[in-house]
Amino acid sequence: MIKYIFEGTRTVFILSVAMALSVAESGWAGNEELNASESNKHSHEMNGRGPASDPLDPVPYRMRALQLRDTAVPLTTGTEFNPAISVILDFTYANFTDDIDDPPGFLVGGGHGHGHGHGHGVEEGFNLREMEVTFSGSIDPYFDALAVFNVTPDDLEVEEAYITTRMLPAGLQVKAGKFLSDVGYINKQHIHDWLFVDAPWMREFMFGDEGLNEAGVQLSWVPPTPQYTRFGVEILEGATPGVSSFVGDGRHEIVTLLPDAGSPERVRWRADKGFSDTTGPRLFTGFAKWAPDLGYNHAIQFGTFGGYSREFQAEEVHSSGRLETWDGDAWFAGGDVVYKYDGQGVMGHGNVVIQAEYMYRELDLRYQSREFESFSSLVTTDANDQRWQQDGLYVQGVYGFLPRWNAGARLDILGLINDGFENRGDSVDFGTSYRYTGQVAYGPTEFSRIRAQVSYNDIADGHDEWQFMLQYSMSLGVHGAHAF
Amino acid sequence: MRKIITVFLLALLAHIAHAELQVVATVPNMGALAREIGGDAVNVRVLAPPDRDAHYLEARPSMMAALRRADIVVSVGAELEIGWLPAAIQGGHNRRIQRGQPGYFEAARKVELIGVGKPADRALGDVHPMGNPHFYMDPERFAEAGYALAERFGSLSPDNAEYFMANAESVDERVSGMMPKWRERAESAHGVLLYHEDADYLLHALDVPVLGYIEPLPGIPPTARHLRSIISELSGRDGVIWTMDFQPAEGGQFLSRELGWPSVRLPSQVHTDGDLDDYFSMIDNWVDTLKVSE
Repeated sequence: MIKYIFEGTRTVFILSVAMALSVAESGWAGNEELNASESNKHSHEMNGRGPASDPLDPVPYRMRALQLRDTAVPLTTGTEFNPAISVILDFTYANFTDDIDDPPGFLVGGGHGHGHGHGHGVEEGFNLREMEVTFSGSIDPYFDALAVFNVTPDDLEVEEAYITTRMLPAGLQVKAGKFLSDVGYINKQHIHDWLFVDAPWMREFMFGDEGLNEAGVQLSWVPPTPQYTRFGVEILEGATPGVSSFVGDGRHEIVTLLPDAGSPERVRWRADKGFSDTTGPRLFTGFAKWAPDLGYNHAIQFGTFGGYSREFQAEEVHSSGRLETWDGDAWFAGGDVVYKYDGQGVMGHGNVVIQAEYMYRELDLRYQSREFESFSSLVTTDANDQRWQQDGLYVQGVYGFLPRWNAGARLDILGLINDGFENRGDSVDFGTSYRYTGQVAYGPTEFSRIRAQVSYNDIADGHDEWQFMLQYSMSLGVHGAHAF
Repeated sequence: MRKIITVFLLALLAHIAHAELQVVATVPNMGALAREIGGDAVNVRVLAPPDRDAHYLEARPSMMAALRRADIVVSVGAELEIGWLPAAIQGGHNRRIQRGQPGYFEAARKVELIGVGKPADRALGDVHPMGNPHFYMDPERFAEAGYALAERFGSLSPDNAEYFMANAESVDERVSGMMPKWRERAESAHGVLLYHEDADYLLHALDVPVLGYIEPLPGIPPTARHLRSIISELSGRDGVIWTMDFQPAEGGQFLSRELGWPSVRLPSQVHTDGDLDDYFSMIDNWVDTLKVSE
């Protein structure tokens, strides 16, 4: 019986090859004919001709269908072997009533590793916030690649550059390179995916301006279940300010002038900081996502995530020569949910997106304050063990109230739990900060968008302020499909 | 003992040979074609409901779950689904349906498209330089895609290859049987004003002139100025206005009042469980509106 099956398959194969060959020949002739009629095609389009001499179908379609057997033909426009290129420009104008205070307690080490000048923060006045240049394509049948460069007027940085596997069995996929982690929902989104001008506080202060964006490897698995589920683990270098801040070994060095009457002398003070130079990977994360099937109009996805960093190092250097260091480890965990409704309207009319995320982090640190006791050694003047416990969350919703238009509101809460330490080592509750944001956006096409946003910040230290922002973003070139 | 093993292996082989191909179709029309070609050897699931514009869908987890278990994804192609299908496939973690694999099928690659090679300039709207993707509105091209699909199904399930090809021939015969009737009914039709460049294929097949488009440029909603220019160009003539069910009705209604033409708004896709009969009645409904009353 098996023999017959094989015989049959072989016969069919030989027959189809023979047919393909013979048809391929006639196909060539047909194509010439087609080219000849090409120039007349447009002039005939309006008045048309009889079906017997259809200029659009000069070769009987049956023959052409058999001729096109291959699959290795280019599948996207004008890219052939070149990667698809997209350029996204993001301009902002911002005006704040006051200098922006950061919510207190979140920057261990006096604010190092964080600053509004760099990254995705919005500055006052007119700004070209970023030009995001993306190259994407398939390297070979086994790998896809993506590279995202972020060009600002003074800087060029690699935002993401990674490969993903295409051909692993059993629903497995490996991503390797520098990439935005899949923990949570908003972390892996780029500026133009955000539904507001700026990122939620949670992402900015629990991770840092760049989010959790690290070099490393990710393994994820989608089991063949009727409901979408995805599990993943990531092994990362560990250099994200909020959860895996890293300094490494190095020497603390200052230069002073010793006042020697008449001829001051330059003196160099130098001593080891005492941080261990742990080679990466230092940060390990995991995530799970689950999305029940709610039909064509509704979609919801729940996620949970966590991570552990075996090193958390921060320092603050004072001009007096005093060195403060925090050294220990950190972990974080959280959950996210996103709901989308397809309003079935034109250009986003009636669509709803609601998303919320919560995240908690804990830093277990040894604090030391040290001063020079000689030109080459430090003495500890103050030390204690610190456990920082903090959290953040946001809830936001956006509704397409007209074709091309949407409006949204967002609530940021940072520090419902906000237990940290003042520099002298006193345990402190830094308090809870709130931000209330509203935005309206207009997108003439899916390739351009203008957005206006107002926020009121109620900072835990007693300050409050208003922020007004305008954003214009546009997309040039072949922009890839958006993940959910 | 050997007998038992042989029987067991044969049973297993038979099971493998007869297991249904799991087919995921992007839009209902492709689902109908897959159902017709695959018959009872396939199980078809459709990703997009009929009343949505397939240009503007979003990749969703339910799509990824369906694609994860698929043996083949059957798409229209020519970049119609470019905004969501690549992301859905990437999220599906299924090596069988990656681009370049036998389990990835783009029907538009297998038929002659119109509008190929238009400049890739978005100042001209949301253009498709690969050609107009809405070939499924032409029953003959639809049948033609059926042969290519039968061949692909056959390569995935060789035991059923002849069955698939026979089904493709039957689709072709039924279409060939209908075309003269539709052409006859469309004869002497004055022409059609379309909302978007989508029913062009059907009108070309029926030899009915396309009188213009309500969209000033593909993907750009109608402007007052463009509507005025349509009125000044077409007033005094006869025709009918076609709008797909997911496209905005207002432009067509306005022009219908101004020009005194009938305006119709009908589905361009069968329902998600549809088959060739449903496809024929969908085409029938459109052709009906071409009848000249005088």
